[in-house]
Amino acid sequence: MEQLAELVKEGKAEEAAGRVRELLDGGASADALMKEAMIPAMEEVGDLFQQGKVYLPEMLIAARAMQGCMDVIKPAMATGGPGFLGKVVIGTVRGDIHDIGKNLVGMTLEGAGFEVIDLGVDVSPERFTEAVREHSPQVLGISALLTTTMLAMKDTIDALREAGLRDGVKVMIGGAAVRGEFAGEIGADFFGPDSTSARDFAREAISR
Amino acid sequence: MTIERPFKRHYDFEHFRRVVMRETGEGPVPIIELFADPEIMCEVSGLDFPADGLLKVLNIGVEPTVEQLQLGVQLMDISVAFSVAAGYDYASTIPIVPVPRTDYLLLENPQQDGKVRGWQDEHRGLIMNRDDFERFTWPGLDSVSLIPVDYTAGQVPEGMKVMAFINGIFEDLKRLMGVENMAIKSVEEPALCGDILEKLTKLAVAATGRSAAHPAVGAVFYGEDMGFNTSLMLSPEWMREWVVPRLKRIADACHAHGKPFLLHSCGQIDALMEDLIEVVGIDARHSFQDNIEPVEEVYRKYSDRISILGGVDVDLLARGTPAQVAERTRSILEACAPGGGYCMGSGNSVTNFVKIDNYYAMLDETRRWNEKHS
Repeated sequence: MEQLAELVKEGKAEEAAGRVRELLDGGASADALMKEAMIPAMEEVGDLFQQGKVYLPEMLIAARAMQGCMDVIKPAMATGGPGFLGKVVIGTVRGDIHDIGKNLVGMTLEGAGFEVIDLGVDVSPERFTEAVREHSPQVLGISALLTTTMLAMKDTIDALREAGLRDGVKVMIGGAAVRGEFAGEIGADFFGPDSTSARDFAREAISR
Repeated sequence: MTIERPFKRHYDFEHFRRVVMRETGEGPVPIIELFADPEIMCEVSGLDFPADGLLKVLNIGVEPTVEQLQLGVQLMDISVAFSVAAGYDYASTIPIVPVPRTDYLLLENPQQDGKVRGWQDEHRGLIMNRDDFERFTWPGLDSVSLIPVDYTAGQVPEGMKVMAFINGIFEDLKRLMGVENMAIKSVEEPALCGDILEKLTKLAVAATGRSAAHPAVGAVFYGEDMGFNTSLMLSPEWMREWVVPRLKRIADACHAHGKPFLLHSCGQIDALMEDLIEVVGIDARHSFQDNIEPVEEVYRKYSDRISILGGVDVDLLARGTPAQVAERTRSILEACAPGGGYCMGSGNSVTNFVKIDNYYAMLDETRRWNEKHS
């Protein structure tokens, strides 16, 4: 397990996936691999990223290794069932195609054991609403880069409210131009300055 | 509110230069911008530019069409008229460095009545791997052209100089490779990134050196985006090994002609500031947003060694009121102007979603400050 955690942290995708196969063949459960090795490894990388001790490349290659491991163990897990900590829908708002930050949030959430449904970029309020209705996530994450595109976050939250879905989902927002006070202005529950704080909010949201 | 225009009738690049070089703490606080979108420049100058004009030149290739060239000339005219009307001591232009670049992605924004914006492709680029690099057609150094500098030099009024904008090597690395791919390659194949950076550096040195040598050019504005809101994109160690020495060569090419080298970089780049000041030798730094680090704080830390440029948050300029902008402008001036080495301007650029009255409020407040204190 320790070796697997190190391989994920170092972003060695092929070797990490190989180690997962070895451990599964040896009788380890998928749940144990995630909880004892993969999730703690990604947690550590995410924390270091937040602390400014590792940077974008290290996050990306660790997440890629994590993804490779997930591809191996996913067949052993029932989608949305036991094994996932909770469910989060994420996307970049309509009119905006910047998605590195959103992708980092997705990777960090997956690394923490969440099931993540990524709607991609240029996502309309209607599509966000449909996804919340379809997937019933505990958390919805909305991203935008610019002051001019982040205004669409309010449209999305309004659409959720009009569809009667707002009370059933926590909404977190983030992006370069987004600030904490803006979350309050548009009726979001949380503003995250980075992917690690988004992870922590999602974890808190499912524990309520 | 009443907009008092023109803001200034007298252009004095020499004063601007002395402020940027921290040679004087006296006289008016100059104004500065990296860029203003055409809609803003048209509003200020009274000139027209086609609504879709910028989109037509955004993905200008190495062989531009006649229409693109005509639009480019129109943009240069508007840039000069904007500087004249608003009271900048320089007009900006961009020397031509014909590197084939990954096209911007275009997308309508419903928040701006469907206005189309260009976005850098974060996932794909023209050079994804070593094979792409080997096949890539790099322009020769003699292909760098100063035609835009020559043209703008002929348009500026007395007292005004030309500001040559040089696209950053790290910025171009991201655009050529795609941001994510570049980040991954930076750890898996750093030598590939280094080889691309070296090609770009030679071109940037040529463009910077030749621009700085031009008698009408007053300074070089060098644009990189090296950080996110919270940190550098790549580690300081990586940047020190692969980027900083090359930035020094580019800055040296500018300084060889005695011209100031102004650095624009978005993001939280504090971890690299000592290198930028002591190794690269930047004369000034631009781009400060309140949610990253308020400009007053940066001024407090570094204004004994470099000048500090701009800092009125673009979010405030876009969503605030003229009164709020005036108040913020005044508070920045109170903190940064008395010690010298400061120019007023936005925290990044005057985008087309900035409210024009807010932009005017920033200029008006600066004019009031200058009338009171100069």
